[in-house]
Amino acid sequence: MSEFSPFSHTVLGMARFIRPDEVTFSGVNSTFAMLACLLAKRAYPFDFTYINVAGGVDPDPSFIPLSSSDPVLAQGSCSIFANEDFYDLCCRGGMDLCFLGAAQIDGEGCTNVSAIGDWHKPKVRLPGGGGGAVMLPTARRAVTWRTEHSPRTLVKKLDFVTASGGMHGLATPIAIFEKRDGRLALKHWNPDSSLDEVTERTGFTFDAIGATPTPPPTAQEREALAFLDKDGAFERDAKVRLR
Amino acid sequence: MSRSKVVPLADLAARIPDGASVALGGSFLHRGPFALVRELIRQGRRNLEIMKQSPGYDIDILCRAGVADRARVGIVAMEGNFGMAPWYRRAVEQGKLKLEEHACATLTAGMRAAAFGVPFQPVGGLHGSDLPALNGWVKLPDPYGSNEDTWVIPRIRPDFAVIHVAEATASGDARTFGTPNWDHIMTRSAGRVLIVAEKLVEEEVFAERPEFTLVPRFLTEAVAVVPNGAWPGSCWPLYGVDYPTIEAYMDETDEGFLEKHLAEAPETRHE
Repeated sequence: MSEFSPFSHTVLGMARFIRPDEVTFSGVNSTFAMLACLLAKRAYPFDFTYINVAGGVDPDPSFIPLSSSDPVLAQGSCSIFANEDFYDLCCRGGMDLCFLGAAQIDGEGCTNVSAIGDWHKPKVRLPGGGGGAVMLPTARRAVTWRTEHSPRTLVKKLDFVTASGGMHGLATPIAIFEKRDGRLALKHWNPDSSLDEVTERTGFTFDAIGATPTPPPTAQEREALAFLDKDGAFERDAKVRLR
Repeated sequence: MSRSKVVPLADLAARIPDGASVALGGSFLHRGPFALVRELIRQGRRNLEIMKQSPGYDIDILCRAGVADRARVGIVAMEGNFGMAPWYRRAVEQGKLKLEEHACATLTAGMRAAAFGVPFQPVGGLHGSDLPALNGWVKLPDPYGSNEDTWVIPRIRPDFAVIHVAEATASGDARTFGTPNWDHIMTRSAGRVLIVAEKLVEEEVFAERPEFTLVPRFLTEAVAVVPNGAWPGSCWPLYGVDYPTIEAYMDETDEGFLEKHLAEAPETRHE
């Protein structure tokens, strides 16, 4: 067994897309993105601007909320940069990294968050895209995550294109993808998994040239995650499985 | 001191007729006008259209009670560990709720058109999405020659905006703490603005920091005072989400839940 749990592989995989001096955003219904941003603030030796859907700008929340839109995520913030403001920022090119959820993702990194089956007669109605359709094509980079890595979530063809423009990155319990030449390419696989397994469980075809096992968590990453999830409740509630 | 606009919650809800379109303030479980939403259920309202970028408990309980039959929304969920809003989901799947699916920013663009007094409003992004074709949205070339095409969203003017705030004056000024979410554009785009407030404060308090006021009195038609009225959601910084109640709400096997829930809500103790 590696030093990753399926949960930490996903969260750390997301956090590692965060870069120095950039503006990074986490939104509603996005516990993993919230944790990744808060983790990066604690674990990485660089400065970046963390803004969130509660209007927080580099906040210092007194507790880590269950809801990633909880107003506590603006606690300690010196301003409230509310919904209209961060959408406009994204549209004018000021959002460097945007974490956006997805139900289905295709090989170009486009997403479906609307419906499984025909939109008009859905087998399953999904939450809807929220920011996606506007933010995915306008953010400089966008990163998504899926706790279920399977051919029904990582698909060849989306049932509905909620948001186009293509994800820069994708983190799952077993793999990290990064965009190369317009398509998601495999960057890392969880050492507890394998290239074969990732290929078998991914519905779209991908380039795996240069892919390596995911580098293990650093001491700083482990400490930050332990701090944010003190009693392990987030990890338990997320119920992420390797397979 | 201008005339008081304070009315009982039942009176506030009675102003919204069957078939009206209603923008609801807040986001997901946070600072929604949930006392008003429950009062609409008690009064047996029907055929409402709900407009909100990110509804959750509110649209779900309105679907559960058969109050809403149309919606323009961006993302709908209970959030946290609870995932999808189950009665909303079924209402859409069974065709009982006619959905116009938006991105949060397209709903906002439509509301901006109403607020700005123009018939449509450009919005960034949307390129490659199936949403424009679904909704019949149009892409226009830049008439000034930049060669940038822009999607435009038709005006969205809710009949009502109802928001829940921490403080109001009797004259109808209102302010929130923490994020105002989408409440600013909702109150500027709607035909009529109704306020639910945790408490009334003296006008002098607002006058000390007028820049903190979200809604000025002349936009407000009426105010109801309901302490804890955003329950079981949060109202920053006064109280957080009541998660045990949300958990009970999500138990679909409890057939008597809705009645019990409506009876135990905070507004029933203050009317």
